[in-house]
Amino acid sequence: MGRWLDERLQFSELLRSVFEHPIPKPSNLLDYLGFATLFAFASQTITGILLATAYIPSAAEAYNSIKVLQTAPLGVYVRSLHSWGANFMVVLIFLHLLRVFYEGAYKKPRELTWLMGVILFLATLGLAFTGYLLPWNQEGYWATTVGSAMPGYIPVIGEYILRIMRNGLEVTGATLTRFYAVHMLVLPLIILLAFTPHFFFVLRQGMSVADKLEAAKRRGEDIEAKSIPFYPNVAFRMILLVVVVAVVLWVLAGVYPKSLGSPADPLNRNHYVPTPAWYFFGVYQLLKYFPGRLDVIAMVGLPLLFLIVLFGLPWLDRNPSHSPRKRPVALSIATVLVLGLIFLTYQGIRSVPKPLPTSGVIADPSYKADIDPIFQSRCVGCHGQSGGYSLDTYANVMRKNVIPGHPNASLLVKRIEGKVAPQMPLGLQPLSKDQIQTIKNWIKAGAKNN
Amino acid sequence: MTDEPGEKSTLADKSNLPRRRFLKAGIVGISGVLGIAYLGIIGRYLAPPAIGSDPLLPVGKADDFALDSPKLVAYKYGGIEQGVYVINTSDEGWIALDFHCTHLQCAVNWISAIKKFACPCHGGVYDMKGHVLGGPPPRPLYRRVIRIQGNSVMVGGRIG
Ligand code: FES
Repeated sequence: MGRWLDERLQFSELLRSVFEHPIPKPSNLLDYLGFATLFAFASQTITGILLATAYIPSAAEAYNSIKVLQTAPLGVYVRSLHSWGANFMVVLIFLHLLRVFYEGAYKKPRELTWLMGVILFLATLGLAFTGYLLPWNQEGYWATTVGSAMPGYIPVIGEYILRIMRNGLEVTGATLTRFYAVHMLVLPLIILLAFTPHFFFVLRQGMSVADKLEAAKRRGEDIEAKSIPFYPNVAFRMILLVVVVAVVLWVLAGVYPKSLGSPADPLNRNHYVPTPAWYFFGVYQLLKYFPGRLDVIAMVGLPLLFLIVLFGLPWLDRNPSHSPRKRPVALSIATVLVLGLIFLTYQGIRSVPKPLPTSGVIADPSYKADIDPIFQSRCVGCHGQSGGYSLDTYANVMRKNVIPGHPNASLLVKRIEGKVAPQMPLGLQPLSKDQIQTIKNWIKAGAKNN
Repeated sequence: MTDEPGEKSTLADKSNLPRRRFLKAGIVGISGVLGIAYLGIIGRYLAPPAIGSDPLLPVGKADDFALDSPKLVAYKYGGIEQGVYVINTSDEGWIALDFHCTHLQCAVNWISAIKKFACPCHGGVYDMKGHVLGGPPPRPLYRRVIRIQGNSVMVGGRIG
């Protein structure tokens, strides 16, 4: 069979270049992340096609079609796999990108591989973003409304871009079908078109970790002792990594099935406050640090800079060395950026309204465990930006609206009880009686930073 | 594209140069025209409807709107219920405000206790006519077309 094909296509040489590639010992699992990403994509393709057989892309039917699908246990599981799989793919491709960066594998002669990889990365984010709207639930609807509002800040053409994305000014049924087409056809096509050369380049050039060995071999050194063959040794380890990833995915999808939530309500009768998918929390949080007119920087400037750096990296970074130790500048910048992103994401997630225990008064509450979470989830969203009444840190809480020992005299309490209008949180569901009592107990006990 | 090396091609080059150039230009030109034609179709097909092209639709009875108190109504179009605050103002007559915050389009809420619109996302605040009082919103709430026909309140597309 192999010979039959080779007679016609002559590809054995190409395959030999990768299959007989010696890989330095010990081979690092992190070098297989691209392969793991490919697995995640394959899983997404399979579960996505299955979902497409049940899903109806219309504002009137989308939610119900998923609901019907969810009546069967396997339907729940497949949807959960697809949803978890999206998270896996975003994480894996990001880790793959970081690893490639760390190894300096984007440098000559692999610039084009990197370029294709960047396209794959962006297309993956695009898939995650468009897929979020498709169930037509409250979460997805409002996250898409806010997310697609951001390009509106691009000077001059912003509004047109927004309208093209949504097919109108608002997120409507026409947006849903548009996102559906992009999610199902356009982005997968882009991924295919970028992946084919990406993969071909890797076949042609081999893994970058092997470059040194290859050079040694060309010099006539004996590399036998320092290397293991790609096939079957490294290939087997790759499959093992995929199995580990797959098992974690399957278990997570089974143990934490993705809930559908309530149907999209564009009229927002329940005063739902939008939050993005967690991997977009970095941008979400960044917005809070760029108040007023400066938010254009967070919404347009930084993403643009990010794109330029990503695409231009092989040409911006002129340091020819691949070794991490000889690239202190590049690596420090990247470390700062990654830490910053992790910090922003963490902060963003922390500030999202969490389902707090709404019943049960805490007699002896601690600021950190009981009080701060209430503030973070119910107050900081609005107050984060409006100076005088910030509740994001202990110092800010204590600035003027809390009188230790005297809950009823504290403006904070008057506001959340509605004794002083307007009642807080403004225009949202008031805090529960128990939460208010808990806060009062804490103030009564001296409003300590405990 | 480079020509095949060797004697043959040198020969061919000499005799057929203008012809080859013509053929090459033809390949590039024809693919270019085809590509542009399809791009044109794609662009026109995906172009969004013009701003304000939404039809006038009834959203309620004029009697149901108390003076100077905004009421959220549903403008049912595009397969969804779009949120619009309709206000019968004492000085400016009827106005309709799109209920999306102009910052990042969260839904704003009318807080009757303070007679202001508040946005729960980043704390944008607007007065009854949609002018920004505080927070990040860069411009007033968008207005929508509004007509009173008999007792029926009709709302249309966005203005501006
Ligand atoms: S969306 Fe309303 S203030 Fe940001």
